[in-house]
Amino acid sequence: MDKLKENQIIEDLLPQKFGKLGRIWVASLIAVCALGAFAYGRQLYYGLEVTAMRDYVSWGIYISNFVFFVAISLVGSLITAVLRLTNVKWSTPLTRIAEIIAVSAITFASLIIIVDMGRPERFYNLFLHGRLQSPIIWDVIVITTYFFISLLLLYFPLLPDLKILIAFKERNGKWLQKLYVFLGSYWKDKHAQFKITDKAINILAIAIIPVAFSIHTVTSWLFATTYRPGWDSTNFGAYFISGAFLVGAGGVVVAMYIFRKHYKLEKYITDDHFDRMGKVLVMLALLYLYFNVNEFLVPAFKMKKSEEEHLLGLFTGEFAPIFWFAIFTAMFIPIFILLFKKGRKPLPAFIAGVLVVVGSWFKRFLIVTPTLLHPFLPMHDVPANYHHYIPTWEEWAIAGGSLAGALLVITFFARIFPIIPIHETILETESQENEKHF
Amino acid sequence: MKNIFKISLLLFGLIPTFSNAQAIEKKTLVLGVKYYNDNNISQHLVIQAKSKVDGKFQKIGNIPVKVYINNENDKNNFIGTGTTSERGEFLLLIPATAKTAWTKSANQSFVAISAESKLYEEARGEIAITKAKIKMDTADGKIVNAKLFVLTDSIWKPTAGVEMVLTVKRLDGNLNVNETATYTTDTAGAVTAEFKRENLPGDNKGNLIIVANVIDNDAYGNIIAETIVPWGKPLVYTTNYNHRSLFARRGHSPFWLEFLAYGIIAAVWVVIIYLVLLIKKIVKLGLE
Repeated sequence: MDKLKENQIIEDLLPQKFGKLGRIWVASLIAVCALGAFAYGRQLYYGLEVTAMRDYVSWGIYISNFVFFVAISLVGSLITAVLRLTNVKWSTPLTRIAEIIAVSAITFASLIIIVDMGRPERFYNLFLHGRLQSPIIWDVIVITTYFFISLLLLYFPLLPDLKILIAFKERNGKWLQKLYVFLGSYWKDKHAQFKITDKAINILAIAIIPVAFSIHTVTSWLFATTYRPGWDSTNFGAYFISGAFLVGAGGVVVAMYIFRKHYKLEKYITDDHFDRMGKVLVMLALLYLYFNVNEFLVPAFKMKKSEEEHLLGLFTGEFAPIFWFAIFTAMFIPIFILLFKKGRKPLPAFIAGVLVVVGSWFKRFLIVTPTLLHPFLPMHDVPANYHHYIPTWEEWAIAGGSLAGALLVITFFARIFPIIPIHETILETESQENEKHF
Repeated sequence: MKNIFKISLLLFGLIPTFSNAQAIEKKTLVLGVKYYNDNNISQHLVIQAKSKVDGKFQKIGNIPVKVYINNENDKNNFIGTGTTSERGEFLLLIPATAKTAWTKSANQSFVAISAESKLYEEARGEIAITKAKIKMDTADGKIVNAKLFVLTDSIWKPTAGVEMVLTVKRLDGNLNVNETATYTTDTAGAVTAEFKRENLPGDNKGNLIIVANVIDNDAYGNIIAETIVPWGKPLVYTTNYNHRSLFARRGHSPFWLEFLAYGIIAAVWVVIIYLVLLIKKIVKLGLE
């Protein structure tokens, strides 16, 4: 490949400064985060009383958010590991997007758990007095492990790109240059270094799959090991993982569209990528739909007395609007859009991705809260508001703040590092040209 | 206008009439008095209040009652007051102040009086008893002996023909010492029973409490006597607090779980550490 073409790729993929729109976007996210921080300050000062969580609904939108973050973080393993190990080449431009989504989501999954604690300064007790028999401890261990593996999977492929970035000293500015030098000044494009990096990425691609499966299976066990209507299921691990793959893939499609549009990356994130990711989304949505049918049809067919109230609450009762909204937006409508070739064009695919992500958030809420409102033993002598859960503005602000925080991490990452791997793109373009020649 | 005034006057005039009619409908209250002699150490009374509600007697709470020994005519006979609980009763220990009246005679009576209230008429309940007590002992072969004595002319005399129950005290009630439900005292005032409850858990020394009981006797009231016997099975307190199980405390998880969990954690973290060492290797290569 000639130097001119290589330089063009580098020029296209180098991180760019925020434009006017970018600054508005960042300012908006910071404002939402600040509101969340203020609400959290109130929660710390007044206690969990500022939330709508009471004796029965002790897990509200914080835990829904936690499950959502854990789910979306699974995309790192899907795009990077599964597609890499199955020798799928077209996913190269998407790997870093997937990995940064995974890292930011898993970071905020950990943070939102701390937010859910009434006394966060006692967090250390979880480590001092935690029981190995408890799925909560398994979750803490596996989230920490997944965070480090995702970080390494983000870092290793970044090394050759750091060398390219360091070369643009003038463009980078003082602080960014210092950061690039600190992170990757030792990378010299040596053959031995590439060999070690390839080996490390392969090990990581293999290691991350069981860890990623564990993280979401263990999260599902937080519910399934508790004997309650709606959670008492042997289907939960697979149900959670299929849902996680779906929302993760939906998140990647959304990010692909925004990065492509904002950074003008049409040459690198092509219509073909949307077409392929659209097909992946359809497959994952159908898979998740299959598990949903299992999860709801079988208990509804039996309609055990103890579960009747919970199930009817979802199908036709208090939660029916959210339930059917989630089922249609997360599965039926995206499947319908993406089944057609025209629907797999960037804009419709982006809309389908947004629907999947939004629907999936509400799906997580439906997994967590309605069950808590329908315990096996009927509620007696409790205040009327204990029978319902309507989150307070503090809860919405904190949950919104955490979502904004995750987006802010992705935004700043894209400002600092190339969102599409430069070195890998050059290599792939080179190999494609060689294939054409021979 | 004139008519409205007349109707109003008529209505307001009728209200006191209705109120008076309601105030007249007071219910009859029945006061019951029960006497208890507890192991010949103390005596107490239980006062119960009942009234008919929907054709059935129901226990009535919140009724203040004054209690007298012998009769209510002498204020020195007043021995106490109480208010019935939700269960329609209260307990009153016969106080030391009643000693003079109590020791005067072998026959005693107690009177309970509740004053007229908004809902109930004045009520009076009474019980007359003759002082009696039970003496217990045991013999070889796990035999329980109980004798009933009645105070007659300052002398405790055995009494025949009184029904008695011999039981062993358990947590939620008493268990008969054998298959016989009740015994009747003979001419010597005695009943004898063989203790047949083998392997009954006792305290940590195997002690059981045997109870002899005369229940709601018209002449003697309720008489209770207890004695401790070593006929039970010593209770060895066992706990699984230190056992390893899935529901045990921290540090007491089953070995298989620890082996599995720590094994997986170690395996994954060895890989992570190995990858960090690879970074070190890359750094070293870069510095060469």
